[in-house]
Amino acid sequence: MRILLSIPMILIILTIVFFVLRVLPGNPVLAMLGPKAPPEIIHAMEHQMGLDKPIIVQYFIYLSHIAVGNFGTSSYTSLPVLQELLQKFPATFELTFYSMIIAVFIGIFLGSYAAYNFGKPMDIFARVYSIFVYSFPVFWFGIMLQLIFGVWLHWLPVSGRSAPFMIPNHIYTGVYTLDAILNGQWDVLTDAIKHLVLPSFTLGVVISSIFVRMVRSNVLLSLSSQYVTAARARGESEKKILFKHALKNSMPPILTIMGLQFALLLAGAILTETTFSWPGIGNYLITRISYRDFPAIQGAIVFFAFFVAVISILVDIVNAWIDPRIRY
Amino acid sequence: MSQENSLEIKNLNIEYLTRSGTVHAVKDASFSVAKKETLGIVGESGCGKSTTGHAILKLLPSNARTKGEIVYKGRNVLTMPEKEVRHLRGKDISIVFQDPMTSLDPIMRVKDHFLELMRAHKPNVKEEEVIQTASEALEAAGVSKKRLDNYPFEFSGGMRQRVMIALGIALKPNVIVADEPTTSLDVVVQEQIMEVFRHLKKTKDMSIVLITHDLGIVAELADKVVVMYAGEVMEYADVYNLYKNPLHPYTQLLLKSVPNIKIDDMELHHIPGSLPDLKNLPQGCRFYDRCPFAKEKCKKEEPPIFKVDKREVRCWLYE
Repeated sequence: MRILLSIPMILIILTIVFFVLRVLPGNPVLAMLGPKAPPEIIHAMEHQMGLDKPIIVQYFIYLSHIAVGNFGTSSYTSLPVLQELLQKFPATFELTFYSMIIAVFIGIFLGSYAAYNFGKPMDIFARVYSIFVYSFPVFWFGIMLQLIFGVWLHWLPVSGRSAPFMIPNHIYTGVYTLDAILNGQWDVLTDAIKHLVLPSFTLGVVISSIFVRMVRSNVLLSLSSQYVTAARARGESEKKILFKHALKNSMPPILTIMGLQFALLLAGAILTETTFSWPGIGNYLITRISYRDFPAIQGAIVFFAFFVAVISILVDIVNAWIDPRIRY
Repeated sequence: MSQENSLEIKNLNIEYLTRSGTVHAVKDASFSVAKKETLGIVGESGCGKSTTGHAILKLLPSNARTKGEIVYKGRNVLTMPEKEVRHLRGKDISIVFQDPMTSLDPIMRVKDHFLELMRAHKPNVKEEEVIQTASEALEAAGVSKKRLDNYPFEFSGGMRQRVMIALGIALKPNVIVADEPTTSLDVVVQEQIMEVFRHLKKTKDMSIVLITHDLGIVAELADKVVVMYAGEVMEYADVYNLYKNPLHPYTQLLLKSVPNIKIDDMELHHIPGSLPDLKNLPQGCRFYDRCPFAKEKCKKEEPPIFKVDKREVRCWLYE
C-alpha cells in the first residue's frame, strides 16, 4: 500500500522535471555540438534524439520507457543513464549513510540530554548549537573544514573518494568502506574513511541541527507525560526513563521527520559532493545540468525521488515496529 | 503516635516556585498511617491532597520545594538520597494515579511494565518469576493473566486502572497511595475499582492512603480521615466520629453538600465562595471567607491545631 502511494509522488516529480527542463532555455544538441554547428546536423541530431516531436509526445514516450526501467541514453556520453546512475549511486549512498549516522548520533544524544537537563547549561548549549549550525550554508561549512583540516593542518584529504590506486581490488557494492572490509584491504579502508570524514561530517553536522531541536522538543513532551512519572514511581532509574520511555516514545514522530529531512539531506549531498568533488549522483547531476543532458538530469532526479520514497517506506515500517498502535 | 505506624508525616510544607510567584500548596500537614490502616485524604480540587500523595514518593516536579518530614521505617524520605528513594518506589510504597489512560507506557506490553518494576528492584529476576508475580497481582485486581501480552491501547480505562493497581500491589508494598483512582472513570467502573480496593483492604496487609473527593468512598473504606483545605489539614479524626460529629465548619459543610436521597430535600447544598489564592494567602484562617461562624479573630490570626478528644481540628471554635 505504502509502496503504491509513492508511485504518484515519483510521477509528479518526473513530470515537473520533464517540463521544466524543456521550458528552460538551453538545448542539449547545441550544448553538445557548440554554437557553430551547421543547422542540418542540428536537425538530424534532434531527430535522432526525438526532440523534434511535440513535447507531449516526448513526455509519453519517456514515461513508457521509465515504466519498464529504461532511463534513456545520455546525450553527453551516449551511455545508458541507468548504468551511469548505478555506478555513481554507491558514492552518494556512502556519503549520505555516514552523514545520517553522524546527524542521528548528535541529534539523539544532544537532543535527549538537552531535554533531560531542561533549562540547564547543556540545554542552552544544544539550543545555541542547533541555531548556529542551522545557519551554516553547507558549502561554506565544507570549505571551512577543508581550509582548517586539509590546507592548514594537513590532516585529511579535501576531495574525492580515494587516493590514487587506493580503490578496492574487487568492487562488490561500490561502497568503498564495505568493499575494503570484504577484500580485507585495511589500507584502502583507512584511506576511504579519511576521505569520508570531512564531507560526511559537513553534511551530518548541518543536518543534525534540525534533529537536535526535534529530538529535544519531542523528548521534552514525553518526559512531562504521566507514564514517565508512573515509571519513576515503579523505581525505574532516570537514565532508563530517558531512553526506554521518553526517547522510545518520541521515536515515531522523530523518525517521520527524519524521513522527510532525507530529501533535504540529498539536497545537501549535491552541494557537499560538489564542494568535495565527490563522484556521486549529486556531482553527476550538476555536471549534466551544464550539458543540458535531459535523460541524465531526469534520471538522477527520479533516482533521488525513488531514494526518498524508499526511506519513507522504511520509516513507516520501523514506526510500526516501535509503536504497536500503528498498523498499515 | 505508636510504633505501628507505617508512615508518618510531620509538618510537611510544599511550595511550587512559578514565574508568577510561589504557590503555597501544603502547609504544616501532619498525620500518620498505621499498619493495615486506610487513611482517607479528602478536600476539594487544588487543596493539596495530590501534592501530599506525590510527596510521599518524592514524585513532585522539579519546581517543588519541600520541608518537614515524611518518615518511613524511621527515615525521612524527603532527605533520602535519590538512589535510596528509588528502591522504595514500587516496592515499599507504590502509587496508583488518577488518569489510567496516560499512566501506562503506550508502546510497552503489560508484561513489560511488570518486568520493569521487578528489574528495577531485582536486576537479575527471572522472567518466569515476573510472570508468576504479575499473574497473581493481575488476578487480585480483576484482570485475566491472559492479557499480559496486550498493549495498553487494547484495554479500557477501567481495565487500565486495574493494571495500574496490579502494578501497585505486585511487590507487596507496605503502603499504597491511591491518588483519586476513580476520578477519571465513569460511575459503573468507579464502583468496580472501589470493589478492587475493598478486596485489597480485606485480603492484603498494607496501608492505603486514599486520596479522593468522594466522601462516600471515604466513609466506606477509610479508618481515619484527613480533611484538607487550601493546603492545610483542617480536621484529622477517625472516620466514625468525623461523619457522626464533624467539628470543623468546613467538614460540616462538606458533609452537608452530599445529596441524601432519604431526606426529601431537592436542593443541592454547596459551599459558597472559592479557595483562596495559594500565591497570596490571607493572614488569618484560610477558610475565613466561606465560614459561617467566622469571627474577628479568624480574620487576623491563623488557627493552630487544637486537640479535641484524640481528634485534631484547626479552628478557633475549639480554643
